[in-house]
Amino acid sequence: MKQKKYLPYVLILPTFIFVTVFTVWPTFLSLYKSFFKQRLNIARFREPVFYGIKNYTQLFQNPEFINVLKNTLIYVLGTVPLTVLAAFIFAQMLNNKFKGIGYFRLAFFHPSIIPMVSAATIWMFFLTPDYGLFNSALTFLGYSGPQNWTANPNLALFAVMIIAFWKNAGYYMIFYLAGLQNLPTNIYEAARLDGAGYLRTTFAITLPLLKRSTLFISTIAFISAFQTIDHIFVLTKGGPSGRSTVLLYYLWQTRFENLNIGKASTITVILIVTLLAFTLSNIMLSEKKEPNNE
Amino acid sequence: MKKTLIMFLLLTLVVTGGLFANGKKETAPAASAAPAAVKKAEPVSFEIYYPVAVDAPIAKILNGYIKDFQAQYPNITVKPVFSGGYGDVKTAVQTTFEGGGKAPAMAVMLATDLYDLINSDYIVPLDSLLSTIPDKTAYLNDIFPSFLQNSKYDGKIWSLPFQRSAVVMYYNKDLFKAAGLTAPDSWDSLAADAQKLTIKGKRWGIEWPSGWPYWLFQPLAIGAGQNIIGDSDTTVYFNNPKVIDAVKFYISLSKKYHATPAGVQGSWGAAPTNFAKGSTAMIVHSTGSLTGIIKQANFDVGVMPIPGKVKGTYASVPGGGNFYILKGTPKAEQEAALKFAYFVTQPKYAADFSTKTGYIAVRKSAYNEPEMKAYLAKVPQAADTRDVLKYAGKELSLQNLGQVRNIFHKYLQAAYNGTMTPEAAMAQAQKEADASLKDFK
Repeated sequence: MKQKKYLPYVLILPTFIFVTVFTVWPTFLSLYKSFFKQRLNIARFREPVFYGIKNYTQLFQNPEFINVLKNTLIYVLGTVPLTVLAAFIFAQMLNNKFKGIGYFRLAFFHPSIIPMVSAATIWMFFLTPDYGLFNSALTFLGYSGPQNWTANPNLALFAVMIIAFWKNAGYYMIFYLAGLQNLPTNIYEAARLDGAGYLRTTFAITLPLLKRSTLFISTIAFISAFQTIDHIFVLTKGGPSGRSTVLLYYLWQTRFENLNIGKASTITVILIVTLLAFTLSNIMLSEKKEPNNE
Repeated sequence: MKKTLIMFLLLTLVVTGGLFANGKKETAPAASAAPAAVKKAEPVSFEIYYPVAVDAPIAKILNGYIKDFQAQYPNITVKPVFSGGYGDVKTAVQTTFEGGGKAPAMAVMLATDLYDLINSDYIVPLDSLLSTIPDKTAYLNDIFPSFLQNSKYDGKIWSLPFQRSAVVMYYNKDLFKAAGLTAPDSWDSLAADAQKLTIKGKRWGIEWPSGWPYWLFQPLAIGAGQNIIGDSDTTVYFNNPKVIDAVKFYISLSKKYHATPAGVQGSWGAAPTNFAKGSTAMIVHSTGSLTGIIKQANFDVGVMPIPGKVKGTYASVPGGGNFYILKGTPKAEQEAALKFAYFVTQPKYAADFSTKTGYIAVRKSAYNEPEMKAYLAKVPQAADTRDVLKYAGKELSLQNLGQVRNIFHKYLQAAYNGTMTPEAAMAQAQKEADASLKDFK
């Protein structure tokens, strides 16, 4: 009897220890350090000095940081909804039986198995001015605008967003595809007998039934949008003039280039709070709309 | 069944706990081995972190040198850790120090990282270690002075140059000859030549990458008469009228002469190929690209320093990585590491490294080695890469380098892209750089 009571705790103990040591503890450490001024490259600030909430106020008064937040917002809102939508459309397209389906599934999915650094390197070639594949294709389609994607102040962020979309849409598609293949076929038959068209079926049946998939996909897409910056390292280094610097890249610069531990911890806290707020509100919203989901 | 499961889980915990404990224990004997290892014959082994993200089989070359070194010093074992680029090595060193791990005895990091590494208390000065080598003065005098510039601080020597390069201009001699032009010797002739060699839609006169712009910009500033950095480690000259002049000249190459693409050019990777296949007549790039360019180009490749503003003046700036010895490692390991650095910078190895990688040999006498002479007979441009050092100023290196460099990049690119005027951009860069250096004065 006693054993039964403790068993669940024993079972979660290893995970609990790992999460505590590698996630919870560093989070609290960051929170703690965010109240100190500590700079590794200044002898007198190498040891932390209490700084109150100045790290926070200074960051939010710094136009550069505001610009970083703006870039991050554009990046996340520009990539996540579109990628998830495309994933859904691709999954619908590929959830049919036709000749050569394997080829198309591979075509959509393959970018997600390439490491982001390699993907960015491939795109660096695509985006080369004058003779890059992307520019050649656009020129063929009648585009005559600027070609210098990664160094143009108005295009750099857009260029890295294109790569994120290309890289992730196929990956999220797999989750939708798995969801679609688990849906009961009899409902669709009933809908068809009732005369429901494609749109009606999609909005009244498919989407509501895939709500859990959408919740999961949008959550991981959102988190990944904040956490993937490899392509920015390869293609733009946050430039030109900071136009493609997003929050995590700025965090890296602050920590490893400016050696500013206090500010870096503060940015970490801001990042974690943002991710938590989104994830929780996403879950709460979707649970609220679905009172009888059991 | 449940009992077995619980037992299994507890066992897993004990095992993983043991792993952690072992991890900590591992560092203990190494630290206590220090006094014992002072005696010469005692076996000693040390780690070296080395960046390999360059255009040459560095790991293979280095492993060969290590083999030779160990044959001469059988009691020393060198354990190389090859990883990523310069930034990755620096990050690895930082995280090792702050995580309380055992740092390697030696690492190759950028020559310009000097101040950050001293302030962070990661490195040791080499003066006392250097006094153990037989020909200290002759050795240091034989290293090209412009390579040693970024090694000195506070009257001490903190690093030894090894994997070094410089900014040069590559030009297509065949195209120049066909157009009846000679190599440019001033900004005016550079711009005029570039303009003449441009064929709209087919060939650019010059490509000057600016995705990570400070390095390739510095020769322009030096050529205008004012480097962006001076002797002080907390002063920059971003808003000096001569520096602004240099920014304007870069912009004029596209705006006035239409001889290069407009705006910031993220073409670092593509430029050597563009040059080698003839789609641009000149490029400004690293000496490190020489081997690749010679291999690809089917025309006579010219290598020269960047022409200055005044006729007959030239400029360049060095780059690349140095050996640093890290704090917290036992004295015996540090001594062994210095021996290794000394060994691989012997003329024979410096020459070998240069011919195999395209880097400039760090020692003058390396150019007297038979192997080097044979190489120069085949690739005379390699002597030109060495000769640009005569015109080289100091590479941007000062307190708070990372932040100051980012500020400069931001506003230099704003000027290049036309979102700010050169005057306004450089004034703002100066203001922000000064503010970021306030805590360092």
